[in-house]
Amino acid sequence: MHRAGELGPNQTSSLEGGSEPSRGQLVLEAAAVDVEYGSVRALAGVSMEIAQGEWLAITGPSGSGKSTLLQLFAALDQPTRGVVTFQGKNLGNDVNLAEYRRNQIGLVFQLHNLLPHLDAVSNVEIVMFGNRLGRRARRARALRLLASVDVIDQAARKPPELSGGERQRVAIARALANSPAVLLADEPTGSLDPASVTRVMDTFTRLHEEEGTTIVMVTHDSAVARRADRTIRIESGSIVGQGNGGEAKDRATAVTPVRSTPTRRCPGLPPR
Amino acid sequence: MSNENEGSAPLVPAGLHGGMSFIGLILHNLNTRRIRTLLTAFAVAVSVMAVVTLGVVTASLKSSAAEVLSAGTSDFTVAQRGSSDVLTSVVTDQQVSRIAATPGVESAVGVLISTVRVDADHPLFLEIGVSPAALAPFGVRILAGRAYGAAAPREVMLGWQAAQDLNKRVGGSIVLDGTSYDIVGLYSTNQVFADTAAMFPLVTLQAMERKPGTVTLAVVKVTPGTGIQRVRNSIEQANPNLATVREANEFGRVDRNLQFLDAAHTGALIIALVIGVIIVMNTMLLSFIERIREFGLLRAVGWSRRRLLAMVFGEAIGISLLGAGIGVGLAFALMTALEYFSSLRGIFHAELTSEVFATALYSAVAIGVLAALYPSARAALLQPGVALRRE
Repeated sequence: MHRAGELGPNQTSSLEGGSEPSRGQLVLEAAAVDVEYGSVRALAGVSMEIAQGEWLAITGPSGSGKSTLLQLFAALDQPTRGVVTFQGKNLGNDVNLAEYRRNQIGLVFQLHNLLPHLDAVSNVEIVMFGNRLGRRARRARALRLLASVDVIDQAARKPPELSGGERQRVAIARALANSPAVLLADEPTGSLDPASVTRVMDTFTRLHEEEGTTIVMVTHDSAVARRADRTIRIESGSIVGQGNGGEAKDRATAVTPVRSTPTRRCPGLPPR
Repeated sequence: MSNENEGSAPLVPAGLHGGMSFIGLILHNLNTRRIRTLLTAFAVAVSVMAVVTLGVVTASLKSSAAEVLSAGTSDFTVAQRGSSDVLTSVVTDQQVSRIAATPGVESAVGVLISTVRVDADHPLFLEIGVSPAALAPFGVRILAGRAYGAAAPREVMLGWQAAQDLNKRVGGSIVLDGTSYDIVGLYSTNQVFADTAAMFPLVTLQAMERKPGTVTLAVVKVTPGTGIQRVRNSIEQANPNLATVREANEFGRVDRNLQFLDAAHTGALIIALVIGVIIVMNTMLLSFIERIREFGLLRAVGWSRRRLLAMVFGEAIGISLLGAGIGVGLAFALMTALEYFSSLRGIFHAELTSEVFATALYSAVAIGVLAALYPSARAALLQPGVALRRE
């Protein structure tokens, strides 16, 4: 099993859950999912699967429903109809959502969502409250994570004192704090300059290639989407196309239309 | 992520190795919003001050009144049932004689109590009328001079504290209500009430007060081995307009002012607490609205409802404790000022006992917890997705 930012050999794992899937096994699934906000239908009959170790990019225009879909996988919202499952368990009623959010997923937001009054290292630490690490072990782990995303020298600084790219890398370190099974990123480069985009995406690539981290990333940047193994495109709340495999990275902007044909089979992943 | 697996410490900026505890986070949150914390704590402090000051003033006034009823070395006291103020109680000499004749009663001493203005500093100086023969049963010990004569019209004894306060000594005189009295002795009873008073022969004080044949109360001592409660029942059955008092919680039977005082204290206490809760809840609700995204984020990254509740309550209790400290300080200042009020001099004694601190702590924590209930419930029930979408 590949978990992002896995604990060192001398540390106790705080991860919950039963048997963990091997590479290629189904991790997340949305089945015939609708999301409605009043009279607005944000998602309509979306079905898709995400395999262990896969890097999936979800693209589409603003307001198409891609962030809504990510929020369903993060269990931040519930579908109006349909089911979202994690390792076969319904997020609607089979899973302790706080434990799921803490131990199984790591969230990266477009606007980083760091707490402005806490320094960078504390921002990473606070998501570890509730696992079994002590105060010093939490701090040590947070520092190692900041080092792994190259912002250790900013550990004592507060978010307003950091650049956009540094904030986003702190947010990535925070997302990895509890060694999640899946990293969910909502427009992680949306507010960054080109140099910062490259650094953040290099971090994602390293996580994916070196650790086999499952990544689901929402983006409207085709260059960013090309880094993923697979791309799906959403328009008006429905999946309208997908691109598969390594070659598909280069064709991410010209995905095959699959309107009303939900994704049922996850693509083969490149060998490690 | 090679650094992770190696478990080696990266090059870390100085001072970052300690780690943040949950309590540390709560204190950090309070310190970050310093002005709000202080203002909210001040709101708690004002309520605590009101609660503590009212409590101490009430207790002090009750204690002063109760001392009158627990005078002497008696087993219990008898006074008129349902008096508005024990000093207005009327017990006749015949009733005292009947009490003394009750089976099981060893002695019954009639005592007349009144007040007189000495000067601006002593507006409620106590006068006690006791016959010379009853001084010993009343617990009077002569420290200097002698006891007054049974019907001496111009002789008086002063309690040692009164003598000290008024700068009087044996052989001197004191003017009370326009009449000069010779100070023939100084006494002690080991009770502030009596030791800050003047004692007269009973008949002399009855004449001065124009209350011949009556006393304020009777102090009763029962024969050793006799059931006190049985004697009390006998006296009350034989004298339906009299009530016996032995415990502090019975004082209201013969002094309705004490009951009113208790009721007023309870009412004021509730009002002070409710005002405190409303002010603090209002502030915490504003804080909740400001921090909706923060709470939503914490829920989104895996904080349980219980942990979020713990943080909000922890912050509320932190504010409460700070408020309790400030409140006790304010209460002490206010009580010290009250002691100098001429109308309270001699009656009100500000004492900062452990009970005062406990009251401050309980009331502050009650305010904090009650005020945090609603905001914390709202924080815990937040849907993280909705909270994160809030602008």
